[in-house]
Amino acid sequence: MSDHKPKNTTGTKAPKAYGWMAEYPDEHKLLEAARKVRDSGYTDTDAFTPFPVHGIDEALGIKPTVLPFIVLCCGFTGLCLAVTMQYWMNGVDYMYIISGKPMGITPASVPVSFEMTILFSAFSTFLGMIALNKLPRFSNPVFTNPRFDRATDDKFFLYVSASDKYYNRDSVKELLGGTSPDVLDEVVEDGSPAELPKFVWLGALLVVLTGLIPLMIVLNIRESFSEKPRFHVFLDMDFQPKKKADQQTTVFADGRTMRPQVAGTVGRGQLEEQDAFYLGYDPNDLAATVKMTPTRLVSLQDGAAQPPADAPATQPPAATDSAAAPATAPTANATQPPAAAPMPAAEAPEKPWLTELPIEANEANMKLGELKFQIYCSACHGYAGNGDGLVHKRADALAQGTWLPPTSFHIDRVKAQSVGKIFNTISKGQGKMAGYANALTPKERWAIVLYVRALQRSRDAKLDDIPVDKRSSLEEAGSK
Amino acid sequence: MGLKYDKETIELPASWKSKPLPLIAIGLILLVISYTIGLTVAGGGTDSDRGMRFATHSYLANFMFLLSFSLGALFFIMVQFLTRAGWSTAIRRVAEIKMAILPYSGLMFIPVLGLVLTGNYALYEWNQDPSKIHNSLIRGKIEDGYLQSNYFTLRSVIYLALLSGMSIWFFNKSRAQDESGDPELSLARQKWSGPFIMVYALTVSFLAFDWVMSIDAAWFSTIFGVYVFAASMLGFFSMMVIINMALQKAGKLQGLVNVEHYHDLGKFMFGFVMFWSYIAFSQLVLIWYGNIPEETEWYRVRLNGGWEYYSYALIIVHFAIPFLGLLSRHVRRHKAGLLFWACWLVAVHWMDMTYLVMPNVKGGFAVVPMVGHLIGGFGALALFAGFFLLKASNVPLVAVRDPRMPESLTYSNPIL
Repeated sequence: MSDHKPKNTTGTKAPKAYGWMAEYPDEHKLLEAARKVRDSGYTDTDAFTPFPVHGIDEALGIKPTVLPFIVLCCGFTGLCLAVTMQYWMNGVDYMYIISGKPMGITPASVPVSFEMTILFSAFSTFLGMIALNKLPRFSNPVFTNPRFDRATDDKFFLYVSASDKYYNRDSVKELLGGTSPDVLDEVVEDGSPAELPKFVWLGALLVVLTGLIPLMIVLNIRESFSEKPRFHVFLDMDFQPKKKADQQTTVFADGRTMRPQVAGTVGRGQLEEQDAFYLGYDPNDLAATVKMTPTRLVSLQDGAAQPPADAPATQPPAATDSAAAPATAPTANATQPPAAAPMPAAEAPEKPWLTELPIEANEANMKLGELKFQIYCSACHGYAGNGDGLVHKRADALAQGTWLPPTSFHIDRVKAQSVGKIFNTISKGQGKMAGYANALTPKERWAIVLYVRALQRSRDAKLDDIPVDKRSSLEEAGSK
Repeated sequence: MGLKYDKETIELPASWKSKPLPLIAIGLILLVISYTIGLTVAGGGTDSDRGMRFATHSYLANFMFLLSFSLGALFFIMVQFLTRAGWSTAIRRVAEIKMAILPYSGLMFIPVLGLVLTGNYALYEWNQDPSKIHNSLIRGKIEDGYLQSNYFTLRSVIYLALLSGMSIWFFNKSRAQDESGDPELSLARQKWSGPFIMVYALTVSFLAFDWVMSIDAAWFSTIFGVYVFAASMLGFFSMMVIINMALQKAGKLQGLVNVEHYHDLGKFMFGFVMFWSYIAFSQLVLIWYGNIPEETEWYRVRLNGGWEYYSYALIIVHFAIPFLGLLSRHVRRHKAGLLFWACWLVAVHWMDMTYLVMPNVKGGFAVVPMVGHLIGGFGALALFAGFFLLKASNVPLVAVRDPRMPESLTYSNPIL
């Protein structure tokens, strides 16, 4: 602690003295004594009480701490760091649009800035308190006296340290004695050696070395190669007694784990797969076109029969609008036997898409289509179907060169598409566009098709197309 | 208790006792002038209803400004008993007087109720035939029967009755203790402050929804009641500092209110500057992030037409500057410094009440009518002062026989 020597060390055996400690029965006497000691000019003093005593800071003459200023500076640093970090991240380095919000500093930056301010303030408060109190300190000579234990119970102690610059052993004793303490003791060093025992060092060394082991293992694994399979922590989870769909089995004669559908059964959702309302084409027409019944497809996959060598490639394409189909149109994969070589996409047979809407073209369906179109489609394709929705505009503004604009509905290729084809595009997606079969019921998808058709037609509409009684309102709107 | 008081120090200065009625008269005159200016100056042009809208909105904003001091005081008193606080006993009577004038301030809502009952819809758009309203959200609220003039009046009367009832109850108990010194009177208030504070929370929330939020009837924000509460508390604490310092300047409350009490009031001011900002930002950030048209409408009128400068200025003058200003304990313990910030905060509290109401006049920020509105703000302050002096004229300025008085007089803040 201090190298200060008390003036009169009597005898060679006297342990080193650290100051005087007075014991009081209540906080009033302590406060009174503390004021007296403060007025005598001693500053290196301390009080120990079982509970916080109001006014003790002032009685001891404790100066206000500088900690608040440290905290203020650190908190402000945290604030600046947070603002700079967020500006750099979202405004400069990684300009990523999140729900169309502006780049850089936004109201959403406030919570992070606030938290960083609090984080830095809290850490600086805690660490600053530790540092200003010169902690950690493993032992303190005031604990030598067993009476001092009652500082946490019912006694009040006042301590004048020997390291005070005006400290004089006798005068301090006289001063404290004059405050009528219950007991007045000199604080002395206890007899134990100051050095840490050897086994503590050894233990610490062991802990450090043991702590290095995991690190070493990680380093070893990162820097070395092994041909052995990895270590299985949970063997029964890594090797479960079950078969996956693509594995072989000895249970069934054909060796396949995945079983074909049992004859005469209908799987869930399978009926829909044979209904034009769900498919956009008539499966029976398709079967007639490719001269292959659904039953035959199954038997081919089953491996029961070899596919005819000329089966798919020579099929005439479906008559409807294959010419208009883009190169990336989903090909009729289901019609290809697995053994056949993949066909060039351009020659893929086009499905017999429906050319008539399976729903009624009435006002309710039109409204439904408009609603769903504006919810799901307009973001990219735009409200008028020009392919200029907000997503497109923003992507275009980024000018990254990789953006493929959404299709306009008013180009000839799309106008020529049959309703079934458009339905299929909505259901399964096209190019970058994802399928919307999960989000929209078939009826809603057909309603959108109806609305798209209406959009296309409105582009070339003439006044004569409008019912006579509605024309006046349009003319009125136009004249405004 | 053995406390002896100098009778001189716990009474209003004699010269102040003659002031209440003139002050109330001045307040009413200023409000009428403000109303007239709004009616005549703000109108005109294509928007002929604007004058009426401006005048009524201006009155509502100034009324809320007037009422907020008492709203804050009622909560403060209840919290003191809920927490069995001792420190505040010396300053509690001043707060109790502020609380006890709530019925008077509440009477100032009668003109608004008159507007509503006569079918005027300049202030509350919903107060008309639903078929004339285009917005289906507002129409729905009218057709559900919630925003409907009779029901609105009934609710308003209930709010005022509940708040006035609680204020009068607390005040009478405190006055009775002046005579008897009975600790049971403190215990009774401790017992009831818990249930009352729940009634208060619901009342103030719905009061804010009905009176202030419904001027934009399509808009909704569940935190709005807390916003009005936070603003009221800030106004209350600032006004506490001003009143106590004024009384001490006049030689009153000597030796009763000291720097420790001011320090605590300063801490509350600082805390509620932060709390107000926290609530205001909480409301903003969810609406900003959600970006849903029916929610953003309230901010749209506040961030357009000149009001954007006002709104952004509020962040600076209502948060940043007073936050830094009140951060230091040296300022909070410095009389002139604390008085400066108290006046500042009362001023920005008025700005805040204006921000809550005035942009909904629509048609953007206009300087000249706003001067009229400011005159109304001074009118509200004069009314408040008049009411306060009226109530304070014949009561001691401290709770003379409160059993916690000694604790309050010897209380000190720890040195940090």
